[in-house]
Amino acid sequence: MQFTSLNFLMFFTIISAIYFILPHKFQWLWLLICSYYFYMIVNSKYAIVMITSTIITYLSGLLIENANKIINEKKSNQLKKLWVFVSFSGELGILFMFKYYSFFNKSLVRTLNIFSIPLHLPFFDYLLPLGISFYTLQALSYIVDVYRKDVVAERNLGKVALFVSFFPQVVAGPIEKSKNMLHQFDKKHVFNYDRVKNGLLLILWGVILKIVIADRLAIVVNTVYNKPNNYKGFAIIIATVFFTFQIYCDFMSISNIARGAAKVLGFKVTNNFKQPFLSKSIKEFWSRWHVSLTSWFKDYLYFPLGGNRLGRLRTYSNIMIVFLVSGLWHGATFNFIIWGALHGFYQIIAYSLKPFKEKVIKTFKIKTEVFSFKLVQMLTTFMLVNFAFIFFKAESLLSAITIIKNSFYFNPWTITNGSIFKLGLEPKDFLIASIGIILVIIVDIMQRKKNLSVQLSKQNIIFRWATYLAAVVVILVLGMYGPEYSMQQFIYSQF
Amino acid sequence: MVKKTFLKGSIFVIITLIIIFVLNSLFIIKTNHRAKLAQGLYTNTGDSFDVVLLGSSHMDALINPNTLWNKYGITSFDYATGGQPIDVTYYLLKEVLKTHKNPIVVVDLYYLGSPDKFGNEGYVRSVLDNLKFSPNKLDAIINCTPQKQWANYFFPIFKYHYRWKELTENDFNFDTSKNYYKKGFNVSHDLYGEEDTSNPPTTETADIPPKTQEYMKKIIALSKKEGFKLIFTNTPHDYNKISKANSWVPEPAKTVNEIAKISKDNKIPFINYCNMMDELGFDFKTDMANAGHLNVFGSNKITLNFGGFLKENYELVDHRKDSQYNEWKSDYIKYVKAAAAIDLAKKKDQSK
Repeated sequence: MQFTSLNFLMFFTIISAIYFILPHKFQWLWLLICSYYFYMIVNSKYAIVMITSTIITYLSGLLIENANKIINEKKSNQLKKLWVFVSFSGELGILFMFKYYSFFNKSLVRTLNIFSIPLHLPFFDYLLPLGISFYTLQALSYIVDVYRKDVVAERNLGKVALFVSFFPQVVAGPIEKSKNMLHQFDKKHVFNYDRVKNGLLLILWGVILKIVIADRLAIVVNTVYNKPNNYKGFAIIIATVFFTFQIYCDFMSISNIARGAAKVLGFKVTNNFKQPFLSKSIKEFWSRWHVSLTSWFKDYLYFPLGGNRLGRLRTYSNIMIVFLVSGLWHGATFNFIIWGALHGFYQIIAYSLKPFKEKVIKTFKIKTEVFSFKLVQMLTTFMLVNFAFIFFKAESLLSAITIIKNSFYFNPWTITNGSIFKLGLEPKDFLIASIGIILVIIVDIMQRKKNLSVQLSKQNIIFRWATYLAAVVVILVLGMYGPEYSMQQFIYSQF
Repeated sequence: MVKKTFLKGSIFVIITLIIIFVLNSLFIIKTNHRAKLAQGLYTNTGDSFDVVLLGSSHMDALINPNTLWNKYGITSFDYATGGQPIDVTYYLLKEVLKTHKNPIVVVDLYYLGSPDKFGNEGYVRSVLDNLKFSPNKLDAIINCTPQKQWANYFFPIFKYHYRWKELTENDFNFDTSKNYYKKGFNVSHDLYGEEDTSNPPTTETADIPPKTQEYMKKIIALSKKEGFKLIFTNTPHDYNKISKANSWVPEPAKTVNEIAKISKDNKIPFINYCNMMDELGFDFKTDMANAGHLNVFGSNKITLNFGGFLKENYELVDHRKDSQYNEWKSDYIKYVKAAAAIDLAKKKDQSK
């Protein structure tokens, strides 16, 4: 049940109506039932995987808390660490088997073959359970939070199950930490007009981002990236820039719909995107892009590794570890690892060159507070992000190399002779796609200064309603849905 | 708070539905079928039709309402659309009966030969997209289309929004009344030029596909319930040249015999024009436009015969001298002029 489908609209309307009618003590149970229904519609068998993960999470929480009560601190710590280790092994073991086993199996066999060492490992190649990468991180956050005594272990298995499976987030996040989310399931959520309206507006904007903009951009991107040998120069540059905006709109769409749905029901979920393409450095980019993942890695990996407190080399290696793991988290391919590594590398270079950069600025008296300087910084960051996304999107390493190679070809006439309209989008659709990109940039610039939702709520009712209805018309008319279009899956729902 | 929310929410939903309604009519493809169904069902309901004609494209070119008027003073309208499955015909008939009380209903049963569960989407849409929203339309959608497609039929904008790039002035200002003078009749002036290859007539029977048989019986039941008179027809066509694109009963002539049997059992007149071609002096080469459809000349022969049948068997008033029907007279003149213009254009083409 895709978030942009009519089925989801009906599902969400019905479950929300019942949710607000139910007494507080049954609300969480209703959400749990709905979450499992939502999850099992896709593939009921994979609910078993999620239930297993939930039981490990639940039991480890209780065991760690029991260990917390042991007066002997040393013994308590040892036991706690043991339970963390056991539960991490269980959670990550499941994730490994479904997501990485096949990749490591093939890579190992291939490597050993080079040295003529034959190896036969058992075959395990099942479809990736929906949302496994997301709910596993949530489950791990609970275990660590209990370990750190940031949360008290939940005695109600159902509430832990709901935390792992909460339907707005289960497909593609935002990844919530238990210390932010778990307590919200105990709160009483009554109907609040403004909150529900704002939640619905987020959903509306999310739907526009996906079916009007992202899916339109996807056509050009897929045309070029499916056959990279056939395209050169500007076609590749356009497709790559389009992909950067496609993935932004696509991922922001699913995050906004998740956030909006949660908001309607009374839950506060992390905002995953804070105008990332207005970032002036890669470091800043990562504080604005996929915020919930960055925050998770920071809290549960980067800081435990020592963060930036253990000297320059350790900081660099910690950054690299985090981004390699982040790349691998996205998918078991070398391309994702390279994508992660590139982002780590960008940041290490930025740290290393910082003194040199400051010296240049001082020597040439470059004004750093002026618009032009900031614009150059933003464009440079954007280009670096774009370049890394080539590896994210390309089907293989070879494909990525072909795309990079073919992009070094100067053919600006493809823009004027109409060739760009042979990339799958006819001129009118190309125009809508381009307007979509401009709209997203404008909204981001405006959002940076003011909260658009708040600003809109200050306007007169006629303007507000005209805006809402215009959004509905845009979706109905320009949306790429219905029998004449093939529905594109959300990119992040495949991780 | 709840009251305010409910009120605001309801207003928003109503406005959204109105917008969808407007978008539906803007984006639906503007075909002749749309125009004629609008005329026959909604915009020209002031005219009371003595006879209503329903069926697929066979009926579209079978009986000419203008000839029926000119020769017998009978008013009629042709609601046939290309490829119209019989289940769709049933619901279209129910829609017709909302505004035309107790007409003589003539249904061509060619599509009883289709074994498909659902008709071709384009053909089904020719009718359903052009019906106003009503419980009858809901029934039609639920019973004549696959469940997966229901939403797209309820809200045609879901299907047609891709047309935003190709909308023309015609989509915004579609004039449904322009061709009302034709009374839904749609015929070619071409000559087929080939003989009928159908096998010699047989008396054997073959099963009618279950779904179409069900709807034939539903139409019969409806006639008994509503008290209107029903006539079934079978248009002259070459049984051996039924379009290969359609799945069809293997032996159509035998299926037609089964139809005749059921009609007889229910005391419904069934006029099988396929078996009357010699009697009517029907020349397949010059009276057909192709293997399945009559041309204007063939239609004239059938219409004259059919008008005689009506006069003989039903008490129909001749309206030709009734001043209330003056528009039918002027429409007939328009029709004759338009037909003559087509013939003239064809002659010019041939002389080139």
